[in-house]
Amino acid sequence: MTLFWKWTIAVFLVLLLAVFLVLCKLAGSPRDAYFMVRYALPHMHRGSLKVGDNAPDARLVALDGSRHFHIRERTGARPLVIIFGSYT
Amino acid sequence: MVQIYNDYKDHADFLTVYVREAHPTDEWQMKSNVKEDVCYAQPKTLAQRVAIANDFIKRFHYPIAFGIDDINNAANDAYSAWPERFYIIDESGRIAYRGGMGPFNYNPDEVRAWLAARYGAVKHDPPAAPTSAARSTPRPA
Repeated sequence: MTLFWKWTIAVFLVLLLAVFLVLCKLAGSPRDAYFMVRYALPHMHRGSLKVGDNAPDARLVALDGSRHFHIRERTGARPLVIIFGSYT
Repeated sequence: MVQIYNDYKDHADFLTVYVREAHPTDEWQMKSNVKEDVCYAQPKTLAQRVAIANDFIKRFHYPIAFGIDDINNAANDAYSAWPERFYIIDESGRIAYRGGMGPFNYNPDEVRAWLAARYGAVKHDPPAAPTSAARSTPRPA
């Protein structure tokens, strides 16, 4: 293998290690870094919404599991603060 | 966030939208969740998601209006919400505030600042400093 390719592979491995260390720092541990890449990154989207855009509508289910309503039904009279999240 | 709700519920409406789990047991489970006994698999059906949401409400006596995203994650996708995010929609139906993506950029203080700029700040007395007797009392881990 030529010297050029050896250096290229070495630099690539060093960069990979650096990325992995940054992910470990962000996630808290190598285990968490793996799970973050495997399960979290595919679902994290910046999205294209910005201030001033029309708020999208979506149908939601009430806590009883059967009644439905739309997000936009709650807008109009007053500002609506929406908190997206989950228990875990 | 409940404090912000209590401070401004006379001026603005609040809605919690429950989306797909952030740290279910069958994906990226957090040790803190295990400690706090918050162990749920990622729901595969709407009924499962509704059940977890109801557990949350009961455990924390959560007072804010609640809606659950359907299992096709339509609301989550429309708002790029996962794992957690704030929005404020103004009276004309436009986005007035779009919070950063959680957990690192999830900032309730920004929501409070937006509401305070419009309706005035609500001050709270700082929590009382513990007495010397209380300081020496061991606290459970």
